[in-house]
Amino acid sequence: MSNSHYVNDKPFDPKSVEVLTPEQEAIYLAPQRQLIWWKFKRHKLAVASGIFLAIMYLMTIFAEFIAPYSVDAKNTDYVLAQPHDVHFFHEGEFIGPFVYDYDKSLDLENMVRVYTPNKDKIIKLEFFCSGHPYKFWGLIEADNHLMCADIDQPVFLLGSDTLGHDMLSRIVYGARISLTIGLVGVTISFALGIIIGGLAGYYGGWVDLVAQRLIEVVQSLPTLPLWLTLVAIMPANWSQITVYFAITIILGLVDWTGLARAVRSKLFSLREEDYVLAARLMGASTKRIIGLHLIPGFMSHLIASATITIPTMILGETALSFLGLGLRAPAVSWGILLENARDINVVALTPWLIYPVIPVILIVLAFNFFGDGLRDAADPYG
Amino acid sequence: MTMKQIARICISIFMYLGLIVSIQASEIPMLREQVQSGQLPPMQERLPIKPRVIDFENYDKTLGKYGGDLRLLMGKAKDLGQITVYTYARLVGYAPDYTIQPDIAEAFVVGDGRDFTFKLRKGHRWSDGHPLTSEDFRYFWEDMVKNEKLGKKGIPSQMLVDGEEPKFQVIDELTFRYTWEKPNPSFLPALAAPSPLYIYRPAHYMKQFHARYVDKDELAKKVEDANARDWGALHTRMQRQRRPENPELPTLQAWRNTTPPPSTRFVFERNPYFHRVDPEGRQLPYIDRMIMSVVSKDVIAAKAGTGEADLQARYLQFSDVPYLKRGEKKNNYTTRLWSLGKGSQVALFPNLNAKDEVWRDIIQDVRFRRALSLGINRKEINEVIYFGLAYPSANTVMPQSALYKPEYSQMWTEYDKEKANVLLDEMGLDKRDPDGTRLLPDGRRAEITIETAGESAEETDVLELITDQYREIGLKIFVRSSQRDIFRRRAYSGDTLISVFSGLNNAVATPAMNPEELAPTDQAQLQWPMWGQYTGTNTKAGESISMDSAMVQMQLFNQWMLAETDKERERIWHNMLGGYADQVFSIGTVNNSRQPVVVSNDLRNVPENGIYAWEPTSYFGIYKPDTFWFDR
Repeated sequence: MSNSHYVNDKPFDPKSVEVLTPEQEAIYLAPQRQLIWWKFKRHKLAVASGIFLAIMYLMTIFAEFIAPYSVDAKNTDYVLAQPHDVHFFHEGEFIGPFVYDYDKSLDLENMVRVYTPNKDKIIKLEFFCSGHPYKFWGLIEADNHLMCADIDQPVFLLGSDTLGHDMLSRIVYGARISLTIGLVGVTISFALGIIIGGLAGYYGGWVDLVAQRLIEVVQSLPTLPLWLTLVAIMPANWSQITVYFAITIILGLVDWTGLARAVRSKLFSLREEDYVLAARLMGASTKRIIGLHLIPGFMSHLIASATITIPTMILGETALSFLGLGLRAPAVSWGILLENARDINVVALTPWLIYPVIPVILIVLAFNFFGDGLRDAADPYG
Repeated sequence: MTMKQIARICISIFMYLGLIVSIQASEIPMLREQVQSGQLPPMQERLPIKPRVIDFENYDKTLGKYGGDLRLLMGKAKDLGQITVYTYARLVGYAPDYTIQPDIAEAFVVGDGRDFTFKLRKGHRWSDGHPLTSEDFRYFWEDMVKNEKLGKKGIPSQMLVDGEEPKFQVIDELTFRYTWEKPNPSFLPALAAPSPLYIYRPAHYMKQFHARYVDKDELAKKVEDANARDWGALHTRMQRQRRPENPELPTLQAWRNTTPPPSTRFVFERNPYFHRVDPEGRQLPYIDRMIMSVVSKDVIAAKAGTGEADLQARYLQFSDVPYLKRGEKKNNYTTRLWSLGKGSQVALFPNLNAKDEVWRDIIQDVRFRRALSLGINRKEINEVIYFGLAYPSANTVMPQSALYKPEYSQMWTEYDKEKANVLLDEMGLDKRDPDGTRLLPDGRRAEITIETAGESAEETDVLELITDQYREIGLKIFVRSSQRDIFRRRAYSGDTLISVFSGLNNAVATPAMNPEELAPTDQAQLQWPMWGQYTGTNTKAGESISMDSAMVQMQLFNQWMLAETDKERERIWHNMLGGYADQVFSIGTVNNSRQPVVVSNDLRNVPENGIYAWEPTSYFGIYKPDTFWFDR
C-alpha cells in the first residue's frame, strides 16, 4: 500500500530541536533529590537553622563532654550565684579567657546571697582538659571536657540554681531529653499516621470511614486533661527512661491524626493525577503505582510537615514538665529546669533561672525555618 | 432672779454641754452617728460592767486611734474561718505567756481538775445587743448536743472522759458548771484552741430555727425557703461559729462578717459590743473594718509585695523574703521575720501502718528510723535553704517551750552516715545492687517513694537535698506530689511509705497543754494513721496499736489525762518527749525558721518578733489584733 506520508529514515533524536549544553543537561536531568538540595540551599535561613540544629543534636550526643560538670554535681556553698562574666584582660594584660572567683556573703537584711567578683582571685578557663569524671553514655569512663572547672571552686557561666547546680551543665544535659523526645514522638506519630492514613486512602470505603471517625474522636479529646490523666496513672517508681518513653508515646499517640489526614488526602488527590492514569493504562500494578509513583510524590511533603511537628512535641514536653506533670527531678529537661522559674522571686531576683527558655525558643524557631525551607524545596518542579 | 442664780444656771448648762461633748469625744467615730440618733447606746452602756482590760504596758503596746481598714489576703473562701483564729475571743484563752486566762468569761474555777465553774461578765452582749447569759450555754448543751437531731455526731470528744459525759448545771443567770467524775485536762485547752470547742450559741437567735421553740408549720416554711434538707440542716447551717458565713449570726468576736458567701471580698465590721478595752477604758477594737480578699494563693506573695495587704503572713514563705524586702520602701510596709512555731519545718513521717508487709516490718524497726534521722545533713539544709537562721532539730518542742531539753532536739540528729549504714547493715539490709542501692529481704531494691502534698517549693528543695543524702546510705528516694486530699487518703490507707509534712503543731507547749500529738490519738497523724484512728474513733475504726514503743506513748498519754497536778503532767510530758525522741517516730529537719510577716508601716502594736504558730498562738490571736491601730 502506497503511503503518501514522508518518513525520515534517520533515527529520531528528541533533543534535535533544542540542543542542551552540558550544564543545562545537568540541570534538566538531575535527580529529584539533587533538585531539592539546590532549592533548599537558596533558603539561607533554613540552611542556617539546619546547621544550628545539627550542632544542637551533636551536643546531645556529647553532652558529657560539653558540660563542665556532671548533671548531679552541686556545690551548696554557691547557691543561686549569678553567671560569671568571662574576661580576657586582667589589669590591661591579656591572659586568655578567665573569670574572677566570687566572694560570698549573706545579706541578712534582704535575705539574699551576695556574690562579688574578687579581682585578685583569677580562675583561668581551660579547654580540652581533664575534669569531673563521668561515664560516657553510662558506659565508658572518661574525664575529658570541653571546658573544665573544679566543682569546689566552680565556674558558673550561666549561674547556679537553688541547690547550687550549674545551669549551663543542666541545660546541656536537659537538651538530651528535650530534643530527642520530639524525634521519638514524631517517629511514633509518623508510623501511625502513614499506616492509618495510607490504609484509609488506599482502600477507601469503610476503612476510610472508620479511620476518619477515629481521627475525629482523637482530635476532639482535650489534650491537656488527657495528658494529666495519663501522667497521673504512671507509678512514681518508674525509672526515668520508662517515664520518658511513656511521655513520648503519649505525645505521639495524640499527635498522629494530622499526619494521617495529610497522607490520606494526598493519596486521594494523587491517585487522580494524569501520570497515575497513564501508568495504569500502561498496565502497571497497584503496588508499583503506589511504591514508585505515589509515595515519592508526597514523602517530601511529609518530611516537611514532620519537621514542623517536632517543635510542638518539644513544647509539649516543656509544658508538661513545667506544670510538674511530665518528667520529674532528678531527671533534667528544659521543662523541668523551667519549673523552678514559676516563682515570683525568680523573675525579680534570679533571672538566670529562666535561661532554659532561650534554647527552647531557638530550637522551635530553627525547626520552623528548617521545615519551611524543606517544604519549599520538597516540590522542586513547582 | 438674781445674777447669782443666772450664773449658776449658766454654769450648769455649760457643764451639761461639756459632758455631752466629752461623751462625744470618747465615742468611736464610726459609731458616733448611730449613738446620736439613738440606734446604739453610748460606749459605757455597750461594754460589760467589768470589761476585759488589756495589759498594754507589759507588751509594749501604745494607746491607739480609732479607724481604718485592715486589708488581708486569703487563698480560698474557706479561709473565712481565719478571722476567728486571728481575733481570738475565747471563753478562756492563752495569754502571751501561754497560761490560760479568762476572756469572755470573767472568771473560772477548777476543782480537782474535774469540776469547772465559769462566771460571765455582767452586761456583756452579743453583737446584736442581746445579753450573753447562761442560757446560751444551756442551749448548746441541752438543745444541741443532747438533741436527737442536732446531736447525731455525738458529744464532742473533749467533753468525754472515758466515754462519760459531764453534768451541766446552771447556777444563776451568769454562772454555770460542768462536772465530770474524773479529771478532764483537755477541756480548757480545747476552749482556748485556735479552732476551739464552742460550748455556747446565741440562743435568742438560734431558737427561731429549732423545732422545740418554733411552730412546726412556720419552721417547715423556713426550711423550704432556705432550700435545706430538714430543720436540723438549716440549724447547722445558720449556727457556724468557726467560719462566720452567716452575717446575721450574732458573734462575740471583735469584728463581724457583713458579706454573705460566695464572694471574693469579705468585709468585717467592728462589733459594737466587744468586751475588751484599752487601759484608758476605751472600747476595742481600734480598727473599724477588716477587709479580706480571696485571691489565688500563688499571687499572694506578689500582691503583698506591692502593698496590697496591711498584715499578711499566711501563704508567705521564707523564700519570698528577698522579693518582699524589695518592695518595702516603695509600698510602705516592713517585712518582719517571726519564728515559725512548728516542731519541724519539714518532717518525714515513716508510715508505721504501711500496707506493704516487708516495708512495714522495716519501718517498725527503730534502727531504720534512727538511720533515716542520722542520714540527714541538717546543717546543709539549714544553710542552703534557711540561710543558717533555723535550728537543726528533731521534730520536738522548740527552745522557747517550758518543756524543752537539748536532748530532745539532738537525739539521733547528728549527721553520721557511717552509723546510719551500720544500723541498716545490722538490720539485714546489707546486700546491695551494683549502684549501691540496698536490697530488701525479698530481693526488691530499697526504693522509697516519699509523698508530699507539694505545697511549697521549700519542701521540694529539702526533699531534693535529702534524696542526695539518702543515696549515701543506700536508699533510693522518689518524690511524688499529689493534691492534699489524695495525699492524706493514701497515707491513711497505708499506701504511703513515708510522707512529708510539717512537724508538731504546738512546739511551745506547757505541761497544761495536751500532749496528744506525741501519741496515736488521731488519724491525721501520718506516722500511725490507723492506730490514731483507732483511738480517735473510740475503737470503732482503724487498728489497735501493735508496737510496744507506740503503746508506751499511748499509756503515758492516758496517764496525762488522769493526772491531777501540773507537776505530774510535766513529768509525763517529759517522758513522752523523751520516748518520742528516742524512738524517732517522725524525723525532723530544722525548726525555728523564719516566717515573713508583712506589716504596713502605719500599723501599730504588731510585735516586732513573735511566734507564728497555729497552736497555742492562734497565728496573730494571742497578740490581740483588736489592739492594732493605724497611725495615719
